[in-house]
Amino acid sequence: MTATPRAEVATPLPRPTGRLERFARRQGWVVGVAVLLGALILWRSSQIPAFGAFEVRGIVAGTMTLALLAMAQTVIVISGGIDLSVGAMMVLTNCIAARLMLDQDLGPVVLVALLVVAVAMVLSGIIGAVAVVSGVPDIVVTLAASFILAGLALIVLDGPGGGTNPRFQELLVGGFDQPLPAALWLAGIFLLVWVPFKRSRLGIATYAVGSDRAAAFLSGLNVGRTRIAAYVMGGLFSGLAGLVTTAFTGSGEPRASIGATATLTSVAAVVLGGVALMGGSGTLLGPVLAAFCLALIAPLMLGLGWDPNYAEVARGVIIIVVVMIGGLLQVPRRAR
Amino acid sequence: MTTVVADPAVRDWRQTLVDRPAVALSGVLLLLYVVTGLVAPGMFTPNGVRSTLLLACPLAILAASQTLCMLTGGIDLSTVMTANFAAYVAANQSGQGPLAALSLALLVGLAVGTVNGVGVGVFKVNPLIMTLGMASVLLGVVTVGLVGDGFLSGSTRLLPVLRTVASGTLFGPVPNNVLVWALVAAVLIFGLSRTGLGRAVYAVGDNPIACRLAGVRIWQVLLAVYVLSALLAALGGLLFSGISGSVGPDQTNAYLLPSVAAAVIGGTSILGGVGGYTGTILGALILTVLNRLLLTLDTTEAFRQILYGLIVLALAWVYVRLTGQRGA
Repeated sequence: MTATPRAEVATPLPRPTGRLERFARRQGWVVGVAVLLGALILWRSSQIPAFGAFEVRGIVAGTMTLALLAMAQTVIVISGGIDLSVGAMMVLTNCIAARLMLDQDLGPVVLVALLVVAVAMVLSGIIGAVAVVSGVPDIVVTLAASFILAGLALIVLDGPGGGTNPRFQELLVGGFDQPLPAALWLAGIFLLVWVPFKRSRLGIATYAVGSDRAAAFLSGLNVGRTRIAAYVMGGLFSGLAGLVTTAFTGSGEPRASIGATATLTSVAAVVLGGVALMGGSGTLLGPVLAAFCLALIAPLMLGLGWDPNYAEVARGVIIIVVVMIGGLLQVPRRAR
Repeated sequence: MTTVVADPAVRDWRQTLVDRPAVALSGVLLLLYVVTGLVAPGMFTPNGVRSTLLLACPLAILAASQTLCMLTGGIDLSTVMTANFAAYVAANQSGQGPLAALSLALLVGLAVGTVNGVGVGVFKVNPLIMTLGMASVLLGVVTVGLVGDGFLSGSTRLLPVLRTVASGTLFGPVPNNVLVWALVAAVLIFGLSRTGLGRAVYAVGDNPIACRLAGVRIWQVLLAVYVLSALLAALGGLLFSGISGSVGPDQTNAYLLPSVAAAVIGGTSILGGVGGYTGTILGALILTVLNRLLLTLDTTEAFRQILYGLIVLALAWVYVRLTGQRGA
């Protein structure tokens, strides 16, 4: 190497970014998903002659489970993990709730609901603790946990059965043309659980740990405890998803394949919602909107007169294409 | 002052386990086999050995896909759907003779693998997401193909050659499909340890950045791995349809998690760079014998699932302890 005199180059000061630019960079993806969802809803509403409360309720209440599972997955992914057992957790809580709620009054049913959510939080916390203590990759731990949870669900209910209180159903997912309860619950969970969590020390720690574990550790964060807390939050959401399933279907169903499919869809919603699987970035809103988009595909195809089975193909193609575009956008940033 | 000296005996014992997991796994397999044999005496007859090999074969082939992908730090969740699809295509085209039908089935694998490989290798899509999306697409294609006059509907006669290969007997207790399995195993074990591509697979899984700086074309390695993975999946699907004597849109789906588990039990790290096919073979055999034991003990489905999960978890934990390779 020859020593060349260094040219005098004044390093330009970084230009302060404007508000709009910052918003576009941080929330651009979510806004995009929201626009897509709006377009899909408009399209769907133009397909049926009377798009009223009944259809809205069907969409909102029917997608609530998936939206909650997407929330569960999101929190854990942001913390740098991944949870392949959220679906199995939903099935387990669904079975516990349906078994205990059968022929009960509203009071005991609400108590059971609280108990079920608490059980989900504890179990999910244990799964997280095993991942943290053992050092086994999250994907393996939660894969194994999904077997265990599915087995427990079969012990609780050995076949479809159980039941719940009709008042509880109405309270959680609304009557046939009443979309408000489900929508209010989702908004309530978002505003009363997620927003305070995100602004709390724990929430900020969760982002930090997901972004760079070593850096978070060196800044004095308790990495293990933060990761476990993220799993407990995930358990809260997947427990709620199980309750909603119970209210929506009015029974319990221990079939393991339901859980497996739900888990995979939750991962898809997280990716479409703009949450990086590497952890440390993303919001809860994106995956929830993405969950609604994914759920709208099948009814849209039905409206077009296509075989709704194509929905599965469309879902896969959309996931792949969106992620490929995301990958392309990131290539220059990685400077390869 | 005291100096801490690592006990050489302990150290060696652990190092042996890490370097040669096959030794310990063979011990586990032998023990499990004897225990199962005590409960179900049929296990010691040639027929018992035969049924174990017969059932382990498709699992081991599907686990080979998983092993290859996991060595690069990836995973292939589309294997079972590829297997189902390939088996359907072979059965549907069986009228055109075995050669055409089998080629078409393997062509399915080739196509799926190429798309997966391009997505993971060129577009840098997370393998979990890429293969998950692919599984979704394949499930839809198979379902649509079966409805009404879909392209998969109509005659689904199994190829006679598949039946012969998959369930015929070579000699004594050895079924024919072990021949296919042995061929796959030989190619994989030799290829992974003695060829440039094989070493590149380990290198990419161990440290992709170092690989890129050393001039390895990572995307080519990943493309090759995912194509091989899908071809193996198609092969596994064909063998399975020969054993079951039928085709179904979800007939191998129950093998997805066990195939990952077989690789994990065999000592292949999901983080990449560590492991090999020898361990996976033993993992598949262990899982098959364990399944037999649990079935013989007349356990409930629930109990089997729980035990299954606990065993995978415990073994993964032991490996992490021994190798010191912790999650990043």
